[in-house]
Amino acid sequence: MTGTRHGHEPGVGGVGAVVRRHSDPALVTGHATFIDDIESGGTLHLAMVRSPFAHAEIKGVDASAALDLPGVHAVLTGAELVRHAKVQPVGWEHIDNQRAAPTYAMAVGKVRYCGQIVAAVAAESRALAEDAAELVEVDYEPLPVVHSIEDALAPDAPRLVPEWPDNVFGSQTYGNGDADAAFADAEVTVSERLTFGRQFGCPLEPRGAVATWERYTNRIELWINSQSPNRVREVVAEVLGVPVSGVRVRVPGIGGGFGSKANYYGEEILCCLLSRLTGRPVKYIEDRQESFVATSHAREQRIDVAVAATRDGVITALRGHIVGVLGGEISSVGMGPVWLSAVSIPGPYRIPNLELSVTGVLTNRTPYGSYRGWGAPKATFAMERIIERLARELGVDSNEIRRRNFVRPEEMPYSNGVFATLDSGRYEHCLDLCVERLRRDGWYRFREEARAAGRKVGIGVAAFVESTGIGPSRVMARLGIAQGGYDEAVVRMDSTGRVTVFTGQTEMGQGMSTTLAQLCADELNIPVDQITVVMGDTDACPYTGYGTGGSRAAAVGGVAVRQATGELKRQILRVASHQLEVDVADLEIADGLVQVRGLPGYGRTLADVAYAAYRRLTDVGEGTTPTLQGRAVFDPVALTYANGCAGVVVEVDPATGGVTVLGYVMVDDCGTMINPQIVDGQLHGGCAQAIGGALLEDLVYDRNGQLLTTTFMDYLLPTAMEVPPFSTVHVETPAPNTPGGMKGVGEAGTVPGPAAIAAAIDDAVDDPAVFVRHLPVSPEQVYRFCNAAG
Amino acid sequence: MSGETAITVSATVNGRRQTFTCEARETLADALRRRCQVRGVHLGCEHGVCGACTIRFDGVTARSCLMFAPQADGAEIVTVEGLADGDELHPLQEAFSRHHALQCGFCTPGFLMVAQELLAEGGPLTEEVVREAISGNICRCTGYHNIVEAILAVADARSGEAEK
Repeated sequence: MTGTRHGHEPGVGGVGAVVRRHSDPALVTGHATFIDDIESGGTLHLAMVRSPFAHAEIKGVDASAALDLPGVHAVLTGAELVRHAKVQPVGWEHIDNQRAAPTYAMAVGKVRYCGQIVAAVAAESRALAEDAAELVEVDYEPLPVVHSIEDALAPDAPRLVPEWPDNVFGSQTYGNGDADAAFADAEVTVSERLTFGRQFGCPLEPRGAVATWERYTNRIELWINSQSPNRVREVVAEVLGVPVSGVRVRVPGIGGGFGSKANYYGEEILCCLLSRLTGRPVKYIEDRQESFVATSHAREQRIDVAVAATRDGVITALRGHIVGVLGGEISSVGMGPVWLSAVSIPGPYRIPNLELSVTGVLTNRTPYGSYRGWGAPKATFAMERIIERLARELGVDSNEIRRRNFVRPEEMPYSNGVFATLDSGRYEHCLDLCVERLRRDGWYRFREEARAAGRKVGIGVAAFVESTGIGPSRVMARLGIAQGGYDEAVVRMDSTGRVTVFTGQTEMGQGMSTTLAQLCADELNIPVDQITVVMGDTDACPYTGYGTGGSRAAAVGGVAVRQATGELKRQILRVASHQLEVDVADLEIADGLVQVRGLPGYGRTLADVAYAAYRRLTDVGEGTTPTLQGRAVFDPVALTYANGCAGVVVEVDPATGGVTVLGYVMVDDCGTMINPQIVDGQLHGGCAQAIGGALLEDLVYDRNGQLLTTTFMDYLLPTAMEVPPFSTVHVETPAPNTPGGMKGVGEAGTVPGPAAIAAAIDDAVDDPAVFVRHLPVSPEQVYRFCNAAG
Repeated sequence: MSGETAITVSATVNGRRQTFTCEARETLADALRRRCQVRGVHLGCEHGVCGACTIRFDGVTARSCLMFAPQADGAEIVTVEGLADGDELHPLQEAFSRHHALQCGFCTPGFLMVAQELLAEGGPLTEEVVREAISGNICRCTGYHNIVEAILAVADARSGEAEK
């Protein structure tokens, strides 16, 4: 541990300290508990019968052969499900004309994507359940497949929801100023059509759930590796018609989430229901192949973007039209990520005239949901690509265009009139730092030397902002989201003086239990190792409006912890004040004591104060409530905006089309850093996902709606060979509306990388005819870039 | 199909002789997790790509999801549970924590087993060598940067000791 910046004694491990994570020893020794380690006696295992067709009527399901197999307890079909379960709620209903596409936990009457659940088999073992699943006979009547945006929007397109006039789930336009006039009067305009491929969070641990529905108490205990236990609890209650208090959701260690585990799914409903029907605990662990068709997809969009500008490179107007390729059913976040892409395109720039639109179309693909970064990577790809295009048109360095259009600190808070109010940040400073770091690391010189030697090396830069600390409840309400944006926290000191933090946030590897302990340590000025963080149990832990996602755990949940700790501290001082007969204002906590300011060592130990508050009440004074516990609810007043800049160095091999990422600079302003080592780790991981998104990861469908990439040999995650060492640079501009100044860092790494890599490839190929318009860039495409003349 | 003949397997797992019965089709990973209670063997893909289930099998690393349990009869197996010496972490485990080389920790057991084998080989380690050695394991959280640093730090400490 190192000291903190707040003048606390070394060893406290407060804000700004590098503290070893509490969770590490169990994880490195193999003793941590993940969802597949949860199994009580008598547990039945689920295997799913998943549709081999992308679009089909279910004419009948014959499960008799499966049920005849010894050890098979139940086979649940959609026809039976609807007798017990309501439709899955959609949390995001924020598009004015958003349609309803009732989605159940499994297919009912019709399948709309390959891999959709048609039947669920519960048996004594997973292997037996899989055997039985193969014996379930399903009679399908295939229907025409809607493969693409063009298919979906064709006038005679087959409709996924027959009651709708087309396949459009929702469409909306947002504007500010007069974009038409600005384009009409512009000295320069440029436009591009861009596309971003289909990708997903792909945590290394697939999803899983273990449910026990106690017949006689009518209570459900559900273990699940979810980022949003409170939301899952409410959804289970709503869908299965039980009171919220009748559902206890518990979360073990989570093997990565990346947003895909923030959505809620049908599988957990099926576990609960089959437990009710069989009287046994029921467990489901998604296998890897299933994860590709059953865990939310993300990213895939078509983006038409254009800017109008002066000859000096001042952008006067922006148009952005995004179509999101939704799946065959609607996920729990509706078309939220697509919407956020559209309204986030202006990024860190001052653009007075905006016309931004979003459309979500249904296709026969896996549902579209959350993945780290949500809308921001595509928005940044769109904006930064069009800046590169404008720079070429004007013959100016693209960084000059950025500088001319950045919102400056003195203009903040700056509302772009559509969605964002940029609260704080030094965007040009971040760009300067990025260029400076690239230079210091020798990359500009390296590029020149490599080029002189005939190699194709390029450098690309992209600036970004991302809305973080989601989200103020009033913003959520304005968007029609039936969830709050606040967080509740409870902090207790026990009778020995040790402290426990109770939070609704979850730990999924991002170090949140350690980070929250640091905030508590900072407030109480006690060593962080005296603090335990309890999370992942809806019966024991407080409520959170939105769970863990949207880079909000520190910026919202952390503030609640800090404020609850503040309340606890007031109680501690009140008790000590009575014991010492000293005014509260004259007391401080230091060196494990509540002591009189200016008289170090004169006081009571925290252990003694705590003992008195619980067990020697004669010591605490008349009218003082026994126990020591603080509670707080924090609801931010506004979103905050993390921001920064990525600089990526690539080498292109014209013979193979291969792209090697050689260097990667990530400048990030996440506001106040709580634990710089954890912040770096979050950036590294996000940047690696940006590399995957730009160069490797692609969920490919054929025209029949069959997903072709369902193994790690086809869907390529970056390995240590594709990822370079990272060079991170930190800027700390405190968030003005977050007590403590945190903005959030969970997603930032994913955001600017794809745009920067696209620019780096352009630069490496160095041909005016070449412009990256689609990600991920395949070797074939790069080969064509390099060999266009040949 | 189910109801196959049960096969009895006897193996040494982390220094302890274990005898268990399993089905012929059962993977070694499943048997280790469910019959030998070594839950540090994690399943990330079950098709031999991610490396989370990596164990040491008769002295060399192997992917336990690609082996059948009966193959382990008579074998000497070490899993991540076998690295630490009681409460004393293995230097790699210590370094992974110190360098923040793990986040969710699900892939970590596999990386530790591979890194341990790499260090045992004893050759000089460079960043390139380490990256190549761990390239058969997937980590979705860390971006590998700190994993490479942690392994190099242990290698450096060892060579430092050797020079003393």
